[in-house]
Amino acid sequence: MSLGHLPIPSIAVAATILTLTVSGQRSSHAADAAAGEAFAPEQIEFFESKIRPVLAESCYECHTGRKAKNGLQLDSRAGWLKGSDYRKIVSLEKPTESLALLAVKHAGAKAKVENMPGKGEKLSDESIAELEKWIAMGLPWPEDKEQLTQERTKGGNHWSFQPMVKPEIPAGFSGNPIDFFIDQKLSEAALKPAPKADRSTLYRRAHFDLLGLPPKFDEVKKFVEDPRPDAEVWPELIHRLLASAAYGERQARHWMDVARYSDTRGYEAGGRERRFVYSYAYRDWLIRSFNEDLPYDQFVLYQLAAEQLVDRNKPEELPNLAALGFLTLSKNGNQEEVNADRIDTTFRGLQALTVGCARCHDHKSDPIGTVEYYGFYGIFANSLEPKEAPVIGQPKAGPEYDQYLKDLAVKQKVVDDFLEPRLAELAKKFPELSTRRDQLMGKLEREDRRKLSNLERVVDKFIADAKMEPDKALILEDRAKPIDQPVFIRGSSSRRGDIAPRRFLSVVGGEDRPTFQTGSGRLELAQAIADPKNPLTARTIVNRAWAQHFGEGLVRTVSDFGIEGDKPSHPELLDWMAIWFVENGWSMKKLHHLILTSEAWQRSSTHPDQGKPGANFAVTDAENRLLWRQNRLRLDFEQMHDALLDVAGNLNPKVYGRSVELLKPPFSDRRAVYAFIDRQNIDPTFRIFDFSNPQEHTGKRPRTSIPMQALFMMNGQFIQQQAAGLIAREEVKSAATPEAKIEALHRAVLARGASESDRQLGAKFIQQIDQTLASLSASQTLTDWEYGFGGVDPETQEVTFRRLETWTEDRWQAEKEYPLKNDPRSYLMFRRDGGAHPGNDAMHSAIVRWIAPRTMKIQVFGDIIRSGHVINNGDGLTGKIIVAGQGTVLQHVIPKESTKQSMTSGVIEVVEGDSVDFVVEPNAHASFDSYNWQPEIRNADDPVERWNYSVQFTGPADLADPWEAYAQALLGTNEFLFVD
Amino acid sequence: MNPDFYSRRELLRQVGMGMGSIGLSALLGQEGQAALSHKTGLGDRLNPLSVREPHYRARAKRVIHIFANGGPSQVDSFDYKPMLAKYDGKELPGEHLGTERKTGAAMKSPFAFNQYGESGLWISDLFPHVAESADELCVINSMYANVPNHEPSLMLMNCGAPRVNTVTPSMGSWINYGLGTENENLPGFVALCPGGVPIVETQNWRSAFLPGAYQGTHIDTKNTEIEKLIANIENKKLPRSAQRQQLDLIQELNRQHQATRSQDPALEARIQSYELAYRMQTEATDAFDVTREPESVREMYGDDMQGKQMLIARRLVERGVRFVQVWHGAGQPWDSHEHIEKNHGRLAQESDRAIGALLKDLKMRGLLEDTLVIWGGEFGRTPTVELPTPGANGPDTKLGRDHNHHGFTMWMAGGGVKGGYRYGSTDDFGFKAQENPVHVHDLHATIMHLLGFDHEHLTYRYAGRDFRLTDVHGEVVHDLVA
Repeated sequence: MSLGHLPIPSIAVAATILTLTVSGQRSSHAADAAAGEAFAPEQIEFFESKIRPVLAESCYECHTGRKAKNGLQLDSRAGWLKGSDYRKIVSLEKPTESLALLAVKHAGAKAKVENMPGKGEKLSDESIAELEKWIAMGLPWPEDKEQLTQERTKGGNHWSFQPMVKPEIPAGFSGNPIDFFIDQKLSEAALKPAPKADRSTLYRRAHFDLLGLPPKFDEVKKFVEDPRPDAEVWPELIHRLLASAAYGERQARHWMDVARYSDTRGYEAGGRERRFVYSYAYRDWLIRSFNEDLPYDQFVLYQLAAEQLVDRNKPEELPNLAALGFLTLSKNGNQEEVNADRIDTTFRGLQALTVGCARCHDHKSDPIGTVEYYGFYGIFANSLEPKEAPVIGQPKAGPEYDQYLKDLAVKQKVVDDFLEPRLAELAKKFPELSTRRDQLMGKLEREDRRKLSNLERVVDKFIADAKMEPDKALILEDRAKPIDQPVFIRGSSSRRGDIAPRRFLSVVGGEDRPTFQTGSGRLELAQAIADPKNPLTARTIVNRAWAQHFGEGLVRTVSDFGIEGDKPSHPELLDWMAIWFVENGWSMKKLHHLILTSEAWQRSSTHPDQGKPGANFAVTDAENRLLWRQNRLRLDFEQMHDALLDVAGNLNPKVYGRSVELLKPPFSDRRAVYAFIDRQNIDPTFRIFDFSNPQEHTGKRPRTSIPMQALFMMNGQFIQQQAAGLIAREEVKSAATPEAKIEALHRAVLARGASESDRQLGAKFIQQIDQTLASLSASQTLTDWEYGFGGVDPETQEVTFRRLETWTEDRWQAEKEYPLKNDPRSYLMFRRDGGAHPGNDAMHSAIVRWIAPRTMKIQVFGDIIRSGHVINNGDGLTGKIIVAGQGTVLQHVIPKESTKQSMTSGVIEVVEGDSVDFVVEPNAHASFDSYNWQPEIRNADDPVERWNYSVQFTGPADLADPWEAYAQALLGTNEFLFVD
Repeated sequence: MNPDFYSRRELLRQVGMGMGSIGLSALLGQEGQAALSHKTGLGDRLNPLSVREPHYRARAKRVIHIFANGGPSQVDSFDYKPMLAKYDGKELPGEHLGTERKTGAAMKSPFAFNQYGESGLWISDLFPHVAESADELCVINSMYANVPNHEPSLMLMNCGAPRVNTVTPSMGSWINYGLGTENENLPGFVALCPGGVPIVETQNWRSAFLPGAYQGTHIDTKNTEIEKLIANIENKKLPRSAQRQQLDLIQELNRQHQATRSQDPALEARIQSYELAYRMQTEATDAFDVTREPESVREMYGDDMQGKQMLIARRLVERGVRFVQVWHGAGQPWDSHEHIEKNHGRLAQESDRAIGALLKDLKMRGLLEDTLVIWGGEFGRTPTVELPTPGANGPDTKLGRDHNHHGFTMWMAGGGVKGGYRYGSTDDFGFKAQENPVHVHDLHATIMHLLGFDHEHLTYRYAGRDFRLTDVHGEVVHDLVA
């Protein structure tokens, strides 16, 4: 099809027509009038003296501006002509029949016209007569800067709607063309760019940028030491990186933001299955397409209309069907919401236009009318998801798969056994529908439908959990007979306007663009987008690539090239690159290569003159839009995650596959691109690190620094696991001296050797933390409590205390085996809820020990509680509180029949390090001696400060190794987490 | 740091144009742009949590939103309708209002109403403890929403979303975006919900297109262990002393790293975020540990789930958390389609004491003055009885009330609202808002007003539009403001 570029003025007219079409009557006649008829001066005078005052007095309060009632704006001629959202209010052909007149005459009840003015008194007969006269004159209005027309005209010369023009590059210029444009602007601004970054910085930058992974020490070293000139080694390196499978994974993840990728549909009431099951097939397709450098125009075509491009008889083409995930992995909801989501993703994603704004009203700033929006709506409304997703791969044949099929059949049979008899019955009842299964289904009783849905849910869940189905593609297919779609007035499907023709954007295709002919028109839509002359397509993707490499696009609003969007900082460069890109076969790899081999990209992120007296960067270009240096960027979530795994030697290099649970232990070893994304309840950790919101298309992520991120780096189990992985690396483990270990760790984490200062800091740290940990590891836990047993010397009152060694699930006990046969420690144990049991004799009493963290006065609270069967069978206990150096401060013999004994003490003075022992001795024998005691110690001077047995109860401390702590520190540094 | 590093022009561009008065959107999304945060310096452009001033003088600085999710019945609690008793068992006169399910005749409230306080507000027996603070309450009897279904109504109440699928940020996120947090050692927006999540789940406290820093942190208050309350709050492998040594090492390495680079607020912001996180460990643990409250206070709130939750809420706002939402429980507990007497009786008993205690406690501490407390559900319930529907809630459905978005009641207290005040009314039976109806958007506009914002100007540019909490609606109800 042809996408000729229309002369600019037609767009203004076109837009006005659109407006009128919405109001219900297609009348280009009125539009011509709106374009500015000349009225006689006396008519204008009449308007100014008689009409405008009435309007201002009686109408403007409700009928002006954005919030005008019913969308009726009476402060411009265009507004009068446009009418309300529902209908026109004046008729120039039959002025006396104008609804506006009926309204002010209070004579519109029959036509369902409200009496006007809605507030205040009826207009005088005189005013009404004048209004009638004014309408009959054709609504004279002074040289009207009509708002609507004006807004639309603005679109006429807006940069992004203009054809791309390839600027000339002077013949003498021999460098990378990008630098011609960048340097030109820099010299105009009298800014001297930063020098090129050094080779190791560049290597790391390119690695993270293209692959999302950290470089290896040896590779960096080899590259830095390569004697060949930059001009030779650099392009070669970029080629090598682009050839890596990791490149496709990185690019795919970028695109998944654009495509609001998710593994779930979103909220489903009543516990219906939310998972897509085959979403990963779309991701795999993306990875493969980027790695194979599928030309971008085809990349677009497949994602919008693959099912019409793939020959289903050719197995090798089938995987391309998965490309439709771009549309089908949408948020769930009713058909309106699903279509709205698909329109938004398509147009913001591929055209950088916020078409979605025109869902309820004409776009406020861009020349996109509701009629255009509902044309697109019609395309998606006529694109249906078939019930069965086509198979695009082979199942993993084998006994496991056979078993799966058997199990599935059993589950499916339950559904069939329920459904089939009912359908058979309905077929008897409605013989005319007996061959229309879908329609019969519609006749099911509500209760049966509910039961059926419950049964089907079981099958859906089984399929999703089993992960045994062969790869399938979630596709769309055009409705056999497309249904024309009307405009929904104000976005409401119950208020239908004119039929909206299915055709392309007027700003691209012009006002006389053809209506799509085939099926839903989706393929034609795809072709119109993939058209090399479409001024939005190439610009949009080139700008996205630029943003990826510089942290900011030439147009910073990467998904909004509309009138309210950002203006390009280098419009010529954008056009040059866009055309170059199309000329070079829409090759993404070539585009990346072009950008990364520019001097602009290779600049240092630190400018030597910055901050020096006389430097003018701050004044001229604080935002670095002219790119006098490269931008330093924090690793995004995926880069960080993958880098942590990689340097620890834990990263699985496998490409493709089903989604994995990324952030829950045991942690997956796969790259973050494979993370299972739950649209409805995305794990907060993702978003803490500025991950995209999978509910909608994301063009650009924010970059924030918040304490929750730091908590993850300081305390997260994931980071601890990677630190442990690091010190388990062979070269780290085998390093003989601390210096060698420090060196090995620096190489692994930062891909560089340790400096003298690094070595000193590291050695000092190891020494310090070693001491700290050694002093602590003597105790059982990291709290002030210890759990053990022993006896009390009756004379000295000294307690022999031995810690219990075994933590089993939720309790401390003597050995793993419980109870211990023929052992005096037999039933010893402590639980969080205070439940405990002493050993068999007084020398094996149960003892909980608390160590005073500082010198203070304390008071002890709590009761020893015994339950029913204990009382019936046991012979009682003795409870004691013994303070080091003070002996027994409280003692109670608890007789056989007692259920509760208070163990609240008076005020006790303790010195830092003193032990306070809570001892329970058995009486004559220890059977049935279980009890519950949750002592609480309070600071007598500040009772809010307290140590509670249950609150602080914990298992053994699994202390970090000093080297683990050191490795973790390196992972937390800015050097690791930023790319210069 | 050299403040001249940021261009004045850029600053003006953002303050003056298009970005809403706050203009933070640009700051967060785009590196290399100027800082607007006048309080805390340059590094904060990367720190979305730093304190910001609202548009004008704020009456409330923080909010506790007690969410009786499921839809509490107004005619059984705060909307006294003697006429309903007269019509008990009879068809209601007037237009038939559609709700989610079929309802039948009028059903009088099984709960007695009395007047409380000097203001003489009518409150039912369900809320005797709340009633003790009647003179603090600003009761809105004329609330209304759009539809009688939970999902869209929750999205409307929490996110101002006109449709269930419109992905707009939640009120708590908007407020944190507007004001930042007064205590960076704690999350600025906390959603307390015991036993799981409400329906529509985490979308209730989403940040949507606002940065993730503004999303609500969900705390399952059923948990007692702090590490289960806030992710990564506790280090299990390093005691605090050793962790400090580790942090000192990181910071020293960061300083050396920065010394060889030109100044970069992003690097500085990250250094600071570590110190904040370090302090957060202590502060958050402390904030959630209600056992640190004196016995008398714990007793006042009640030794149960709601008591614990409300007490945590108070401890959080006291520490500068901007927005605390307290959900009654997972799912939709207040959804009493059946046996309103038994179910509402139980639900109110669970929460009344705790809410009453919260009001009194806040008042006692002088916190009520600038803390806005909001109570209500996503809608109310019908004055008519719900009819048994096969397949709905089972055949024994009886003596319950259906959802009602036409009219319901919410109340606010503190934070600059009139106390002992009743605003608007429903019809004679409590079905439909009649006098001075207040839409949820109007409530939002009023809440923003109390917090010092013109709701039309706290905006964020996204997808070609300046979004705001109130969509394109909302009128401030000035009569509610003291």
